[in-house]
Amino acid sequence: MIAADTRISESEVVMARSLGKFLARKSDISLGFLPGFDFGWRRFFRHPATPFLLPAVIYLFALTIYPFFYSLGTSLLNFSLTSPRPPTFAGLSNYKNLFLDDLFFTALLNTGLITVASVVIEFIIGFSIAHLFIAIADIRASHLLRTVFILPMMVTPVVVGLLWSYILDPLFGIMNFLLSLVGIPAQPWFSDANTALWAIVFVNVWQWSPFLMLICLAALVSIPRDLYEAARIDGARWYQIVMRIELPLVRNTVLVGIIFRIIDNFRMFDIVFASTRGGPGRSTEVISLYAYRQIFQYFNAGYGAAAAVVVLLIAMIITTVAAKLLQSEAYHA
Amino acid sequence: MRKKSLRKALLFIFAAILTLLNIAPLLWVALSSFKTRLEIFSSPPSLFPEKWQVQNYIDLINVNLPYLLNSIIVTLLSTLGVLLLSVPAAFGLTAFTFPKKRDLEMWFLSGRMMPPVAAAIPFYLTLRQVGLIDTHIGLILLYVGIGIPLAVWLITSFMRSIHPAIYEAARIDGCKWRDIFLRITIPLSSGGIATATIFITIFAWNELLLPLFLTNRFAKTFPVVLTSFQGQTEIAWELMCAGATIQVLPVIVLTFFVQKYIVSGLTLGSVK
Repeated sequence: MIAADTRISESEVVMARSLGKFLARKSDISLGFLPGFDFGWRRFFRHPATPFLLPAVIYLFALTIYPFFYSLGTSLLNFSLTSPRPPTFAGLSNYKNLFLDDLFFTALLNTGLITVASVVIEFIIGFSIAHLFIAIADIRASHLLRTVFILPMMVTPVVVGLLWSYILDPLFGIMNFLLSLVGIPAQPWFSDANTALWAIVFVNVWQWSPFLMLICLAALVSIPRDLYEAARIDGARWYQIVMRIELPLVRNTVLVGIIFRIIDNFRMFDIVFASTRGGPGRSTEVISLYAYRQIFQYFNAGYGAAAAVVVLLIAMIITTVAAKLLQSEAYHA
Repeated sequence: MRKKSLRKALLFIFAAILTLLNIAPLLWVALSSFKTRLEIFSSPPSLFPEKWQVQNYIDLINVNLPYLLNSIIVTLLSTLGVLLLSVPAAFGLTAFTFPKKRDLEMWFLSGRMMPPVAAAIPFYLTLRQVGLIDTHIGLILLYVGIGIPLAVWLITSFMRSIHPAIYEAARIDGCKWRDIFLRITIPLSSGGIATATIFITIFAWNELLLPLFLTNRFAKTFPVVLTSFQGQTEIAWELMCAGATIQVLPVIVLTFFVQKYIVSGLTLGSVK
């Protein structure tokens, strides 16, 4: 009994080792989802870390890897949630239709546009305001002020969408009233296809500039003071200090913040759902909303799954790049 | 010297004005929640309500109390679930060395990156199959999964500051890993665990997408209710404002407790 047990375990160890080595080699291209392990099962189960880690790993596995393959399978089916007929195999036709759909590309483009525009503006605003808060840092009340300043970023995203559609209402909104006081004509904001996307960017910037402000703040205060002294003695102008000292030195930290913003913008759903629902027309359609609509409005599970898989693949590419960057940041910061 | 402090004072006033402008939208909604519908649509708009009245809140709560309770139940229980799984996992990642640890950490992180909508179909169909659509349990199960990556990373970043020599000493004294975890690590990292708890609570409380497609009547959460004021011919702004205030107030209170850790919270501990 014992002997048999050992023999099986040993061959298992060998198998698991080669599998582990294979996975470990592969894990460089496995996009961060598969942890490679190059040791045997027996050592794995005896390792004191295992009982602490296993529950969370299994749970997360069930909620990430399993859905991925489920979606992958579903995306190959003709599968309507409302139809009583059982799903039939459809091959790659869902993907074909997806890539033939203009709206899908509009959604991708809008998502990309919102992401790039928001992140750039958020960084410029965040970087500037970080300087402001550093300048007043030794006033005691400035700490409280800073906490109040950053409140928007914790506000429930759906509330952000709702409160701005209240404020930016073209007829009754307070914003157009305030603009009229200073002689600026009423703006359509969310209700016009030409301005809606920029209104979304505006709202996004309002909510997330404080985040980049905090990141820049953390990075800027860690710059050694003597660098500024030296620059001042050499007669450097302020823009030279920004370009030559500050930007290179905050780069790595800010990059981490920007990665998180890119990922979150890519998943953006709540704000758009609460303010424009992708309209007017298709002007603010974003990728998450598109996939959501295919499934839960048109009940087209197969097609929606194909969209979901593409979304996930893009997210994985972003994640892989991000993980590589974070991996070097998290341990060197 | 005096010139310098004057400049500083002016900058402070400028910062104060910016801050006020930045949270003005929140204040405006809070003020509007005490107005009558007539006042909301009046032109020119008035800053303060003519007469402070809480009728909007009463009307809102009368209809939506069950959904508010749903939000509270789901948020609290899912936070508890996240902690039960994540605190040991964070301990496993910090107290031990094993091959490919870095990869495992990155794998935890990748869970945070996943767009929830990408898992919508499997979540929906699986829960439908096992009859958990529109139930608290169904929501909690998924909220826990969404919270784990954040919690593991955040708590790990706090537990790293515990010196390995402490564990070594305890091991030499014959302490079991389980006891080390319960008696040394948890007390020493209680601050980090508390911070993580608040973040998970806030994110669970803010969640919209999951309850939007996984509930329809019974287990609907408060954010889903908030989206329902729109879409009809007329938007009930006064109720929306009251609802938004109820939804946001706990978040703001909690934010003040974790304000020191917001950057590490939102970057999963990678920026301190």
